[in-house]
Amino acid sequence: MDIIAIQLVNGLSYGLLLFMITSGLSLIFGIMGVLNLAHGSLYMIGAYMALSITQHIAPNFIYALFLAPIFVAVISFLLEICLLRPTYKLGHLSQVLLTFGVAYILHDLVRLIWGANVKSLPLPPWLSGSVELFGQTFPLYRLLIMGFGLLLAAVMWYLQEKTRWGAIIRAGLSNREMVSGLGINIKIVFSVVFAIGGLLAGLGGVAAGPILGLYLGMEFEVLILALVILVVGGLGSITGTLLAGLIVGVVETFGKVMFPQLSLLIIFGLMALVLVVKPTGMLGKQVH
Amino acid sequence: MAGLNTKSIAYLGLLLVLCIVPFGLTNYFLSILVEILILGIFALSLNILVGYTGLVSLGHAAFFGVGAYTSSLIAIHYTSNVFVTLFAGIVLSLIMACIIGFFCNRVNGFYFLMLTLAFSQMFYALVYRWSSLTKGDNGLSGIPKPSLWANGVLDSPIAFYFFILVIFTIVFIGLRVILQSPLGQIFVGIRENETRVRVMGYNTTIYKNISFILAGGIGGLAGSLYAFFNGFISPKDIYWTMSGEVLIMVLVGGAGTLIGPVLGAAFIVILETFVSSYTDLWMLIVGITFILFVIFIPKGIVSIGSLWRTRKIANKGQTKEKEKELKVRMNGVIQDEK
Amino acid sequence: MRKLKGSFMIALALCLAFVTACGQSSGTTGGSSTPAEGDASTSPANGKESVKVGAILPYSGVYASLGENLTRGMELYFESVNWEAGGRKITLIKEDEENDPQGALRKLRKLVEKDNIDILTGPVSTAVAYALRDEVDSKKLPFLVSHAGGNDLTRTKRSDYIWRSSFSSWQIGNSMGKYAYDHIAKKIYVTAADYAFGKEVAGAFKEAFTAAGGEIVGEVYPPLGSNDYASYLTQIKGKKPEAVYAFFAGADAVRFVKQYEQYGLKGQIPLIGSGWLNAEDIRPEQGNSPEGIISTMFWDYHLDTPENKAFVTAYEKKYNARPSIESVEGYDAARVIVEALKSLDGDTSDRQKVSQAIGKVQFTSPRGPIKFDQETHHVIQTLYLIKTEVQNGKTENKVVETIGEIKDPGK
Repeated sequence: MDIIAIQLVNGLSYGLLLFMITSGLSLIFGIMGVLNLAHGSLYMIGAYMALSITQHIAPNFIYALFLAPIFVAVISFLLEICLLRPTYKLGHLSQVLLTFGVAYILHDLVRLIWGANVKSLPLPPWLSGSVELFGQTFPLYRLLIMGFGLLLAAVMWYLQEKTRWGAIIRAGLSNREMVSGLGINIKIVFSVVFAIGGLLAGLGGVAAGPILGLYLGMEFEVLILALVILVVGGLGSITGTLLAGLIVGVVETFGKVMFPQLSLLIIFGLMALVLVVKPTGMLGKQVH
Repeated sequence: MAGLNTKSIAYLGLLLVLCIVPFGLTNYFLSILVEILILGIFALSLNILVGYTGLVSLGHAAFFGVGAYTSSLIAIHYTSNVFVTLFAGIVLSLIMACIIGFFCNRVNGFYFLMLTLAFSQMFYALVYRWSSLTKGDNGLSGIPKPSLWANGVLDSPIAFYFFILVIFTIVFIGLRVILQSPLGQIFVGIRENETRVRVMGYNTTIYKNISFILAGGIGGLAGSLYAFFNGFISPKDIYWTMSGEVLIMVLVGGAGTLIGPVLGAAFIVILETFVSSYTDLWMLIVGITFILFVIFIPKGIVSIGSLWRTRKIANKGQTKEKEKELKVRMNGVIQDEK
Repeated sequence: MRKLKGSFMIALALCLAFVTACGQSSGTTGGSSTPAEGDASTSPANGKESVKVGAILPYSGVYASLGENLTRGMELYFESVNWEAGGRKITLIKEDEENDPQGALRKLRKLVEKDNIDILTGPVSTAVAYALRDEVDSKKLPFLVSHAGGNDLTRTKRSDYIWRSSFSSWQIGNSMGKYAYDHIAKKIYVTAADYAFGKEVAGAFKEAFTAAGGEIVGEVYPPLGSNDYASYLTQIKGKKPEAVYAFFAGADAVRFVKQYEQYGLKGQIPLIGSGWLNAEDIRPEQGNSPEGIISTMFWDYHLDTPENKAFVTAYEKKYNARPSIESVEGYDAARVIVEALKSLDGDTSDRQKVSQAIGKVQFTSPRGPIKFDQETHHVIQTLYLIKTEVQNGKTENKVVETIGEIKDPGK
């Protein structure tokens, strides 16, 4: 019984971590309709930046947790203005190809700057301990990740549903011309949204770094995971993303234990099942 | 009509060049040419879906894999007769396309893309795991060269090249006929406006399935040929990156045109072969190339000529055509779901 | 719009210029096909053409650091003999394996048809080695495998032209079996990354361990590149084994070993495995979590022999970094090639003779004496028992015991 309880906690904490990684992708897709395949790369830069910050600037994980995402947000902001903006009129497929190209470029740039060796992001001693939970040892950091993930979900929900900014963004999604007609510069809204998406990707990178590690190719692994969660939850729904993250986390955790030989299949099987049963994901809405 | 004729003449000329060229090439360049032709067939097959029917699939490598593994296993365990192995490879990929297509065509746009990805990844997992049959991630090696008849083994590079060239020509001409037939027109109609085609009384789901099955079958053929070409196949060739690569070939070459995907295949193979020999930063170069394509040549390699022409004479008709194609591209990933 | 395109082009060009500059300044690892040794082809020693050695190694992707270390090792040795053997200059032509078998085949054709290489070496991925096997065999190209460890390469896929100087998965797994039963535990849980190589290592361990009388209480194979081992570790702990045998490498090893500590298994259940679990190049990334791991490997940084000390000193002087297992493999592969060329007096015209000459090479390497099994073409080498300890707040490996010479059975 204790083992099942602890596996459930494992699954939930993994799920919330997945939510943190995916939230930025979901936000950008939901609002801009852009499928950002460079999302994993932004996540990777966040993690590597955090490593550099803890090594060279301030040996403190908490600083890194705030500084690195801001750095990634700046990069995303520039990316949106320089590369994405000229392609909005070309359609979605072009943006997919473009962001994929960006992912390729960032892959090699990261290798040039940080090298090809496996790295890990060390946690400060007060975060790296373990606690007793259901009679089992459980890493403290993972409990904190759970809290952090829930907090992030709450903040995003509040911003999107209850503030003026959220209203503009939701309006922009349903009718772009109308919003510009009201005197709001939709271009700037898009740039800011993309930067926030980058911020969230970077944040996910720093938060996940100590658990998932830093290595070349991590961005594509994370990207595929994030895409799956995005689709399972339904495009354009933050609540859906949260739900999907939790479900994928729990299903994968128990699936790995009960059917270890199917572990490669579980996550894609789940996605196929959801899409076959409900073609727009769990909480998806129609997207234009 | 005149335009069609010049096009035919151009294709004939190209074929003639492809017939003469191997005699002046070293085996190395010949092998690159063979690879381009095989991947060209693969890209052509995906183009039926992406370019003509407007269904963007990110799971096309699954069919490549079914064809490759089926043919290889038959060649290793039973017979290396090329007709038997190719036939088996195509039949199995057709069956798989029926099954996957049935599920995937129930969803639209981006969900379609992800569902094809899910099925191909599940197939990848199956091949990876079923190691008693497929040798897992080590891949199947030692696949015998195909034989045309009892003793006629295709082991000389030139003979193999012409074998591939014949199949390529058949596929190319066959697709040209199909896509210009009423069936092809319905595909294009679905791409342009599915609702309208449905209102006209066509069951679009059936036609989308036909398109999917056709693409899957030819994709399987390409896989079989590739397995014979290298004598090796591994799960790496079914992974989603392979699906991504062929999608890029189609897009870079020019989706919705017949020759475009072949040019895209040639471009990608040449780029990867030569760039990675000179620098280990080839991912960076490839990435920059994609971006340049998206921004400067969004309609792919096929449009380079016309791009140059439109700049010289501002032709209204052509611009109109351009606009139409632009709309098609916009409908690409996310179709209007109403 | 036009203006935007212009400024974009300039930015891109600047970026490219910057990157190429960077690439050149740190260009020791470049997979460039320009000869590594200046103008070797234009000024051959004794007026003879240089010997061309083709290396297919990963310079991009997940295995890039392995390819880099193998190349460093090779270049270090070639440099120590002044890029010369048997009166001929040596030219090294590097191609990126990309961890992609089909891509590697393309590179092989280029090396054979265009560059006319005399000897081939590499790769890291076993799948790539298997893919290259038939082409190499039919072209009768001498091929010295410097890393890929899949068993079959020197078993069912043997070739007259293929020799392996690195290891086989059987050697790695088998070496721990008996020792584990005699000294560590009678009931062991086995876990390994779910790919052919990991399963071969685990299989060899299980075979030797049960033959000695031990009992396997459970086994689990997480996918290669698993993000999270939490559920596996919880499960392993629930089974209460006396020890855990694990095979993981690279990023997987970092995550597994760290999480092993976080989930409270470290110190409670001894962790044993292959030397990649606590390898020289990943240990610094694991913090203190690898403390107490006992593993088997054919080389260690602290191996106390004059050959190893000389190698480590020379390596650290040149690259300002510690050598890894792969660095030694590269160093030895280069030496095998050089010794073979010496014995042939630089005559590479008969490929069968070149291959035979490779097989006859034997010497004392930094890892101890090595020679080739004439039947299987696989290296016969000594394996060591290595334990990780904490010294001055940092982990260091220690060679605890010499297990002895291990020869792959070839079946």
